[in-house]
Amino acid sequence: MSIFSNFSREAKFLFKQKHLWAFYAVVVCLSAFAVYSGISEANHQQATIERLLEKEAIDRENVIAKQKDYGSAAYYTFHLTYSEPSAMAFAAMGQRDIYPWKHRIRMLALEGQIYETDADNPELSFLGRFDFAFLVSILLPLFVILLLHDLRASERSAGRYDLLVVTAKNQHSLWLSRAVILSLSLAAALLIPFVVGAIVSQAPFADVVLMVLVVLAHLLFWMVISLVFVTSKKAIKQSSAQIASVLLSVWLLVTVLVPVVSDLVINKMVTGPSGGEIMLTQREAVNDAWDLPAEDTWTEFLKTHPQWQGKTTMDSPFFEWKWYYAFQQVGDQKASALATAYRDAIIKKDQLAGQFALLSPPMLTQRILSAIATTDTQAALVYQQQIRQFHKSLREFYYPLMFNKAEFSLETLKAQPQYSTYERAHKKHMENN
Amino acid sequence: MISKISYDEWRFWHRSKLAASILIIGTVLTLLSAIVNSVKMQQTAHEREHLQHAAESRFLEQPDRHPHRMVHYGHYVFRTPSPLSIIEPGVDAFTGTSIFLEGHRQNSAMFAEQQQASGMTRFSSLTPSFLLQVIVPLFLILIGYASVTREKEAGTLNIMITQGVSIWHLLTGKYLAVLASGVIMLLPLIIAAAWASLTGEALISTGTFVVGYLLYIFIWSGIVVVVSALSKKSSASFAALLALWVLFSILVPRIGSSSAAALAPSAGKLEADYAVLAELRKLGDGHNAQDPAFVQLKNNLLAQYKVDKVEDLPINFRGAVAQYSEAKLSKVLNEFSERRMQQELAQAKISRQFGWLSPTAAIRAFSMMIAGTSLETHHRFLREAEKLRYDFVQSLNKVHQERLSYDLDINRYKEGVVARVDSANWQVLSEFTFTPDSATTRVTRSLPYILQLLFWSLVIAVLLRVAVRRIS
Repeated sequence: MSIFSNFSREAKFLFKQKHLWAFYAVVVCLSAFAVYSGISEANHQQATIERLLEKEAIDRENVIAKQKDYGSAAYYTFHLTYSEPSAMAFAAMGQRDIYPWKHRIRMLALEGQIYETDADNPELSFLGRFDFAFLVSILLPLFVILLLHDLRASERSAGRYDLLVVTAKNQHSLWLSRAVILSLSLAAALLIPFVVGAIVSQAPFADVVLMVLVVLAHLLFWMVISLVFVTSKKAIKQSSAQIASVLLSVWLLVTVLVPVVSDLVINKMVTGPSGGEIMLTQREAVNDAWDLPAEDTWTEFLKTHPQWQGKTTMDSPFFEWKWYYAFQQVGDQKASALATAYRDAIIKKDQLAGQFALLSPPMLTQRILSAIATTDTQAALVYQQQIRQFHKSLREFYYPLMFNKAEFSLETLKAQPQYSTYERAHKKHMENN
Repeated sequence: MISKISYDEWRFWHRSKLAASILIIGTVLTLLSAIVNSVKMQQTAHEREHLQHAAESRFLEQPDRHPHRMVHYGHYVFRTPSPLSIIEPGVDAFTGTSIFLEGHRQNSAMFAEQQQASGMTRFSSLTPSFLLQVIVPLFLILIGYASVTREKEAGTLNIMITQGVSIWHLLTGKYLAVLASGVIMLLPLIIAAAWASLTGEALISTGTFVVGYLLYIFIWSGIVVVVSALSKKSSASFAALLALWVLFSILVPRIGSSSAAALAPSAGKLEADYAVLAELRKLGDGHNAQDPAFVQLKNNLLAQYKVDKVEDLPINFRGAVAQYSEAKLSKVLNEFSERRMQQELAQAKISRQFGWLSPTAAIRAFSMMIAGTSLETHHRFLREAEKLRYDFVQSLNKVHQERLSYDLDINRYKEGVVARVDSANWQVLSEFTFTPDSATTRVTRSLPYILQLLFWSLVIAVLLRVAVRRIS
C-alpha cells in the first residue's frame, strides 16, 4: 500500500465526520477575525500617522512664520517622530500597544521628553488583543490537543480499534497519517486567512514564508508531543480525557508556568534604575543651571562640543539662547549614565526573555512572530534610538547657527531636519541589509 | 441524600489522585500568587510614598527664585496602588505610575511597569485574579467533566434511578462536590481579601469582591455539571468543556478588546495635542505680555485700577497675563483630555459588554471595578493630578502677580537686577495623596457586571433544569 493511498483513505474516512468540519470552520472564522482586526489596527495606525503629519505641517508653517531668531524657532518648533507599522504588523501587533510608536519632541533636553508615552487604552492592552500571533502561539496547541487526544481512544470506544490494528500493516504509520491529515487541515484553516491578509497588506514574500514556517514548526512540535504521548504504552490504558489532561498540563506548564516563573527570575536578575530617577536628575541639572555661573555650564558643554571653544561669550550675562540650549544639553549629559543603564536593563531583560523562551515553545513562537513583524521590544528600542539620532541632528543643525551668530533667514529655517527623511533613510538602510 | 452523593464524589476523586493533585496545585498556586503580589504591592506602595515625599520636599527646598521658574521646575505625583490590587492589579501595570506636572502642559503618565517588564506576562501573569478567572475554571473542568458521564458509562446512573434517587438530588450533589473544590481554590482569595480589610479596605467592597468570585465559581461549577449531564460519554463531555473554556476564558475577552479598538478607534493624545495647538494659536503666548491676544486683558485691568499704563498698575501685569493665559489654556487642555478619556471609556464599555457572552469577561470587569484598578480610577488619577497642577501653577502665578514688581520683572535680565521672590512662597504646593474610590462608588460601578454574573447564574439554573429533564 503506497503512502498516498494510505493518506487518501484516511482523509476520506476522517472527513466523513461532521463535527470535524464544524471545528475547522470555527478555526477559519477565528483566524479571519484575527487577521481582520490586525489589518484594521494597522490601517488605523497608518492613517493616524498620516493625519498627524498633515497637522504637523500646518503647525510648522504657523510657528515658523512668527519666528525672528533661531533660538525661539528651536524652542517653539515641535517635531513629529513615528514608527510606521510594518506590512506584517497585522499578524503580530507585539509590543506596539505598550511602547509608543508616535512621539513629539523639540530641541530641549531629550531625557525630559522621551519617556512621555502616548500609549493605547490601558484597559484594552490589559485584556490583550486577539491577533494572529496570539492565535498561533497560545491557541494552536489547544486545537492540536483537541484534535489528537482521542486518536486511539475514539477508535477503541467505537469498537474498531482491534480491527484497525490488525488490518493496518504498521500501526504507527496509521496513527501518524491520521495525525498528519488532521494537523495539515488545521494548518490550512489557520493559514488561508493569514495569506489572504498578507496579500491585502502587500507583505513581503520572504516574511510571509518565514511566518508560515514558524506556524508549521509550532504545529509540528505539538503534533509530535501529542502523537508520542497518545501512542505511548502509558497511554494505552488511559481514557481520552485523561490523555488530554496530561497534554493540557504540558500546555499549562509551557504557556503559563514557564513565562510567569521566568518573569519573576528575570526581574530578580536584572535591576535597572527607576525611570523617575532619570527624570529627576535631568530636571535638577537643567533647573540648577539657571542659578549657577554660566561658566559651569560651558565647562561641561565644551567637554562634548570642543568645536565651540572660544564662541561661548555671551552678550547678556543672564540669558542667551545658546547658553539655554547648552544647559539643556548638559542636563542630558548628566542623566545619560542613568538613561543608558535604564535602556540596558530593558535590553538585558529582553535578551533573557529570549533565552527563557527556549523553554516555552508558545513564547518562542510569539517572540519570533513579532520579531518578523518588527513589533517587538527590540523594534521599540530601535525607534527610540532613531528619536535620539534625530534629536541630535536638530542640535547639529541649530548649534552652528547660534554659535556663529548667523543672520536669521526663513530659508535656512525651512531646511531644518525632517523626521520623515530620516525614517525613509532608515528603512532603505534596513532593506539593504 | 445530596450530601451522600457529594461525599461519594469526593471519595472517588480522593481515590483517583488526579483531582486531589489538581486541587492542591490550584490552591498552592493562588496562595503563592497572593503572597508574591502582596509583598510586591507593599514594596511599590512604600516606594511611591517615599518618592512622593521626596518630590514635595525638593520643591519646598528650592531657593529664592523668579516664580515663573518654579512653574517650569514643576512637580511629580505618584499613584499609590489600592489595597485590593494584591488580588487584581487590573490596568495598573499598563498605565504610567507617575506624572510630571508643569506649567502650560499636561503630560501623560510615564513609566508603565509593562514597559520595563520582560514581556513574558502578556498572556499569563502570577496574579490571583488571572489564576482564579482563567486557570481555576480549567481545573474545575479537569476535576468534574466525568462527574455524571462516569455514572452513565458504568451503568450506575440507571441503577440509582431505579433505586429511586431523584435526578435533582443527584445533580445537586455532583454540583456541590465540584463547587466545594472551587471554593477551596478560592480560599487564598478570601484570606487575601480579609487581609485587605485589615489593612484599610472597607468591608463592603471586600465582601462584594468575595461574593462576585463565589458567583463565578458557582457558574463554572454549573457549566461543568450541566455539560457532563448532557453528554453521553466522558470524552464528549471533556471536549465540549474544553472548547467552552477556550471560548469563554480566552477568546471572548480578547475578541471584545479587539472589537472595541476596531469599532471605536480613539485618536490618541498626540492628535489631541495638535488640536490643542491649533486652539492655542488663537489664545496667545503667555510668556509674551505684548501678544495682541492680551490687549483686552490689559484694557480691563487699566480700567479697573483707573491707570493709563501697565507700569502704573498696583499688580505685576506679566503675572496677570501668566494667570490669564494659564486659565484659558487649561480650559482647552481639559476639554481635549476629557474628550480623550470619554473615548477610552467608550472603548472599555464596548469590551465590557462582552460579559454577556462570557462569564470570564464579566468577572474581569467586575474584579477591576471593585479592586479600584479600572480605567475609571486611572482617569481620576489623571484628573486629580491635573487639579494639583493647575492649583500650584496658578498660585505661583498669583505670587508672580502680587509679590514681584513689574519694574524688576521686565528688567530681570539686566545687570544688578534681582527679580526673585522669597522661597517661603513655594509653600503653595499642596500634598498629594491618591486614595482609592470610596467603597460604595466601586460597588455601584460594579453593579452592571454583577448583573451579568447573575444572568449567567440564571442561565446555569435553566440549563440544570433542562439536564434533569433530559436524563429522566
